[in-house]
Amino acid sequence: MFHKILIANRGEIAVRIIRACKEMGIQTAAVFSEADRDALHTQMADEAVCIGPPRASESYLNMANIISAACLTKSEAIHPGFGFLAENSTFAAMCRDCSIRFIGPDPETIDIMGDKANARKKMEETGVPVIPGSSGLINTIEEAEKLAVKLGFPVMLKAAAGGGGKGIRPVGKVEELESQFYNAQSEAKANFGNGGLYMEKIIENARHIEVQILGDNFGNVIHLGERDCSLQRRNQKMLEEAPSIAITDEKRKALGEEAVKAAKAVGYKNAGTIEFLYDKNGRFYFMEMNTRIQVEHPVTEMITGIDIVKEQIRIAAGEPLSVSQDTISLRGHAIECRINAEDPSRGFAPAPGKIQYMLLPSGCLGLRVDSAVYPGYYIPPYYDSMIAKLIVLGDNRQDAIAKMKRALEEFVIEGVSTNVDFQLELINHPSYLSGEYDTGFIMNEFIL
Amino acid sequence: MNLFKKKKYVPVTVRPSSEYAPHVPDGLWVKCIVCGKTVYGKETGEYKICPHCGGCFRLSAGERIEMIFDEGSFQEINANLETKNPLSYPGYEKTIAGLQKKTGLREAVVTGKGEIAGLTVYGAVMDSNFMMASMGSVVGEKMTRLFEKATEEGLPVVAFTASGGARMQEGIISLMQMAKVSAAVNRHHQAGLLYITVITDPTTGGVTASFAMQGDIILAEPKAVIGFAGRRVIEQTMKHQLPKNFQTAELVLENGFIDKIIPRPQLKETLIKLLRIHNAVKGAGA
Repeated sequence: MFHKILIANRGEIAVRIIRACKEMGIQTAAVFSEADRDALHTQMADEAVCIGPPRASESYLNMANIISAACLTKSEAIHPGFGFLAENSTFAAMCRDCSIRFIGPDPETIDIMGDKANARKKMEETGVPVIPGSSGLINTIEEAEKLAVKLGFPVMLKAAAGGGGKGIRPVGKVEELESQFYNAQSEAKANFGNGGLYMEKIIENARHIEVQILGDNFGNVIHLGERDCSLQRRNQKMLEEAPSIAITDEKRKALGEEAVKAAKAVGYKNAGTIEFLYDKNGRFYFMEMNTRIQVEHPVTEMITGIDIVKEQIRIAAGEPLSVSQDTISLRGHAIECRINAEDPSRGFAPAPGKIQYMLLPSGCLGLRVDSAVYPGYYIPPYYDSMIAKLIVLGDNRQDAIAKMKRALEEFVIEGVSTNVDFQLELINHPSYLSGEYDTGFIMNEFIL
Repeated sequence: MNLFKKKKYVPVTVRPSSEYAPHVPDGLWVKCIVCGKTVYGKETGEYKICPHCGGCFRLSAGERIEMIFDEGSFQEINANLETKNPLSYPGYEKTIAGLQKKTGLREAVVTGKGEIAGLTVYGAVMDSNFMMASMGSVVGEKMTRLFEKATEEGLPVVAFTASGGARMQEGIISLMQMAKVSAAVNRHHQAGLLYITVITDPTTGGVTASFAMQGDIILAEPKAVIGFAGRRVIEQTMKHQLPKNFQTAELVLENGFIDKIIPRPQLKETLIKLLRIHNAVKGAGA
């Protein structure tokens, strides 16, 4: 087992990882930018190294500095969290070259799944159903038009090297194709340095259902059930729940098996998530694979009782999975609400500032709050605006919703605006309560 | 705010270093000579160029040959020549032996015959890893024999120069190589044969003052240092501040000493074009 781990991240995920390490008796080394000198993760870790100025590109994305920090602190492993360098195969390869264990999949696997067009192709070859679309990249407008007509409009043009919702353009009819093609291409080039595009048919009124995967270094791959993340605003998830009430147990089993099949096809190691689109006709399609731990991992932890971060650490340390597929049972229903420091009246623009006063919900059974902020903390403007995740576990969905309502109402924060009121509106909405929502729900139902 | 009331200093337990101690292997990160930034080795790409400033990292003879000559076509000549320490300079033999072991070369230049896009040429590549590619008796002899062979066979020569100057440890014998090589170059020239030099970073001293500047066509790599006397020596002698871009390829080009600066990815292509044009002309005239 590792003696010391360096956490190459910040905010609540860094705190999450530090907590897991402490519980495992592993020493922790944090890295922080100059803006995060007072951050909770910086203070909580056993030691902390400043790795640069506030801008992420000069600090949290600065591979040389982070590797140097690991060598300096003699950290045997690096946990990259999510975002930043978590899916950067160059960084993973660099760790390997410097005898540092990267807590995640192999760099080669990150590359295969990071190229979305390639990943699609690989899944097709493996027999996992994919969204009808192009086989590989689309190089010309003529190719695009031909395929779009064949698939039937509307279609989506997506960046092969993409992520985070960038480089994606919908095309409603053939007249829009040319301009959207060039738009998507240039956004992709600007954000990812690669303008390659692929095409998928837009599956309307679908749900975004993802499956949590764990794989060890011995070829064992299991799934921990699914999460329903259909509630999104501009491709950013707001609320997640597990299990998904839209699918039957039979479908759940099939979905899990497809996910494991997909992960095994690429020799997947460590934690990952396979994202599927689930349409109104009960068909699911592979969308993409995220080769990292995700923000919403707590809902899976709540219903399975498995600490995913600790599993990640054990897998990286060379231990086999501590559970097998048949010993996993899903109990109850979990919901997570993301609390962001944003101003709903200004189109949810990020609203950094100083937290004057804060009271986090607590107490009773099945409530968990993952947060990295504290009263007196100044939220820096350089990073994403998420400040807390409220997670509940209920005996069933109704119970879970009641708990979440209670938790949201108990949440007090002064000094910054948050989306708590919005989450309360969402959770009281009849369509949410009935479970009849899809990825278009928030954008269509709420005047934003 | 010190939330956990941590003390400023804590006792550090010294663990015995194990094989798993993280360390950065040599060469994984390199420093760009031009802009000074630390660059991840793999990011320099197949042409070893700094992604920040475009500066060219120095190549070994092997790397250059691989980049320019058709695969497997380069046949080295006079590979075993090595210095006999003509002045019995103390410590010189030990230094040479160490460098031979480290670089795998016997001396600072690799000469031979090869093909570039099927066109046969005689080539010389100087390697700054070997004593800063200083020119001594062996470099001089190898270069001379190269030009003699090329003259004999009626073939062009492409030379990639790099040098810190004449090799101190061989004294006047090093200096004399300038005249010797220049004479061989001249005989090659009299035979109407093409000689292209590619001046790479850094090319200074006796090599600049002799065969590096004798090319019919003189190319250079971007931002290469090209000069004769060292910058500091000049400043101290003249008691005069020199401009920042002094002795760069760009300034030297401006002042008419070289013909063109070619970015490394386009170098092979450029050489092919030049060799083809001159080959065609030669064929036509023969």
